[in-house]
Amino acid sequence: MSIYAGCVKAGSYLGRISVLPVLKNRVAFEVARGIKAFLNLEVGLTRGEAPGVGTGTSGTGATAARVRKIGHRLTSRGRALAGSVGATPASSAQSDPQPRDARDRCVRAENLVWIFGSGRSGSTWLRSMMSEMTHHRFWEEPMVGQLFGSFYKHAQEGQLNSANFIMGEPTRKGWTRSIRNFVLDGAMYANPRLGPEDYLVVKEPNGSTGAPLLMEALPESRMILLVRDPRDVAASVLDGARKGSWLYERKDKGRWKENALADTDPEAITRRRAHMYMSQVGRAKQAFEAHEGPKVLVRYEDLRADALGTIKRIYSELGIPAEEKDLAQVVEKHSWENIPEENKGEGKFYRKATPGGWQEDLTPKQAGIIEKITAPLLEEFYPA
Amino acid sequence: MPIYRQNVILEVARGIRAFLNFEAGLTRGEVSEDGRQTRKLEQARRWLKDRNRQITELEKKLNDDRSGAPAGDLKPENVVWMFGTARVGSTWLGSMMDGPSRHTMWHEPLVGALFGNFYYGRGAHRGGKHGILGGTDAKRSRAIRAFVLAAAHEKFPEITGDGYLIVKEPNGSNGAPLLAQALPESRMIFMVRDPRDVVSSNLSGKSEGGWTVKAYERGHRTGTPPPTDPEAIVKKGARKYLEFIGKSKEAYDAHQGPKVLVRYEELRADTLGTMKRIYSTLGMSADEVEVARAVEKHSWENIPEEEKGHGKFYRKATPGGWREDLTPDQVKMVEEITGPLLEEFYPDRTGV
Repeated sequence: MSIYAGCVKAGSYLGRISVLPVLKNRVAFEVARGIKAFLNLEVGLTRGEAPGVGTGTSGTGATAARVRKIGHRLTSRGRALAGSVGATPASSAQSDPQPRDARDRCVRAENLVWIFGSGRSGSTWLRSMMSEMTHHRFWEEPMVGQLFGSFYKHAQEGQLNSANFIMGEPTRKGWTRSIRNFVLDGAMYANPRLGPEDYLVVKEPNGSTGAPLLMEALPESRMILLVRDPRDVAASVLDGARKGSWLYERKDKGRWKENALADTDPEAITRRRAHMYMSQVGRAKQAFEAHEGPKVLVRYEDLRADALGTIKRIYSELGIPAEEKDLAQVVEKHSWENIPEENKGEGKFYRKATPGGWQEDLTPKQAGIIEKITAPLLEEFYPA
Repeated sequence: MPIYRQNVILEVARGIRAFLNFEAGLTRGEVSEDGRQTRKLEQARRWLKDRNRQITELEKKLNDDRSGAPAGDLKPENVVWMFGTARVGSTWLGSMMDGPSRHTMWHEPLVGALFGNFYYGRGAHRGGKHGILGGTDAKRSRAIRAFVLAAAHEKFPEITGDGYLIVKEPNGSNGAPLLAQALPESRMIFMVRDPRDVVSSNLSGKSEGGWTVKAYERGHRTGTPPPTDPEAIVKKGARKYLEFIGKSKEAYDAHQGPKVLVRYEELRADTLGTMKRIYSTLGMSADEVEVARAVEKHSWENIPEEEKGHGKFYRKATPGGWREDLTPDQVKMVEEITGPLLEEFYPDRTGV
């Protein structure tokens, strides 16, 4: 079990100390200023290995040093375990006078960095850059937001008012705490090597429906609201969902093949996507506005126009220390220009990355559908 | 700076060695005092022993915590799940089991639906380690276990060590395998009823003036109203039966803890006898007098006449009533859709 790896048991070490001296004698006298002569005599019986010369008196010191070293490791281990179970051993109580939530010390809630918004908004790109930074790991679409958000969204009014319902209003405080622990546990299980100093970038655009619940449960976590022009989002999905394209071929659970709407009824898929945008970005925006922890609004278009400047702003506003040269390095590594040409283009995951490209890709009717459905968000984020 | 060292070892008995160490020399610093070092070593040993004890305690606590058992009085083995589907008599059975002392009823938390909808539906493609319910069964079960027990503790802090929590969860039975796996020591009641009677009851509630329709009209239920076409209601009802009873059966078959299969028809025919069998099979203590009193109190005969009848929640409670309620085409549709389950639980295909 990995969480016990490195755990040191003192007993196994102490068991090897089996010297039974019956006579010890030591004589020391000063023969000159600052110089002492000494004579050590040690006689005894042992069941194990006999101590050699030099491990008697000086060996005791070495043993004590080793014991202390093991003790320090045990103390560290004890602190980690105490953090995991919410206990505070007496020895660590002084160094941590304000015990926090049990799991926070293994997976620190404030080090979770959520990326909400909608799919096809550049979240993979942003996540790739951020997770390259030192002490950064990523959690790729856990969909925990969808687990709770979708269930909550579809609950009946009568259920929401009931104390029996697992997510009923009368017990909201309790289940919000349960969601918090569920997320922190899940983060630890998915990233067992995550340390208390690490940031965990949670790419969760398709779980944005649950963003308000997640942010309520983890108010100290960090949040990025990533938005993109809904017309470009729809154009990207339409392209990917066409027969032979990446989404069509990959999403076996999404009924893309079964429905093949992008080819047979593109208006239907456009309408569906616009509604999804409203739901996802709308909920993410709601969470963003209510969130009191560090947060930043990022437009995909800004990221494309000035990736380094934007990512510097992200780190600055989220209060995450980062060296500019490191940011420049990850921006360079994941730049559009560095994606191999054969991986880019129509029908591929990396399509054109051109803000405003929808004007070439969508018919006026399709653009009209999106503009009508997403009007409130379009006006707010992309005013004419 | 030792200038002379001598070390002599000789075995004086099997496994026991005598040794003599002699060391002489000069030093510019302090000659360490052996007694002080020994005392320090003893202190360090005591310190280590204390750390060892603390770590052992913490590891134990961590194991408990990771197994999802929060500090509380409700024992996971005293959680009693009631799975099946709607209209199989779970409200009736739940009411009777809510009677005896030390039994607490959790009425439809739908925690099974929370996890089942996602795991078998929208999140089914997220089975990898990044998916919130992905990865190993053990990982998923630990997370669900902790969530369920925390919610139960939160809602029922009054349950004492020997108290039972009966979770009436017919409409969350699509998540039954996940819940049972997360709480393998819990108890399980699997309630079944002839699917034709279930669909028939469903159809009655959703027909004009039915209790389900009224719930929508009064705003107690929201969202998409049920279909009005009888054939569509029958088809949807049969499919739900297949899914929910199917998942309940999957959980029941795999469950290692105490479990009991209860047919609605048996409960109607001999309520007290079936109740006794339930408690006995599940290994639950229940006062016989209290059980008999609960059976009497919740008997069909004691439900006021004005609350019973077509379109009402308490309809007719007559096994085999589907013969009067469903058309031959509707019967055929139900039998086709629920075929494997009908054959298993009602092999003569005639109902009881």
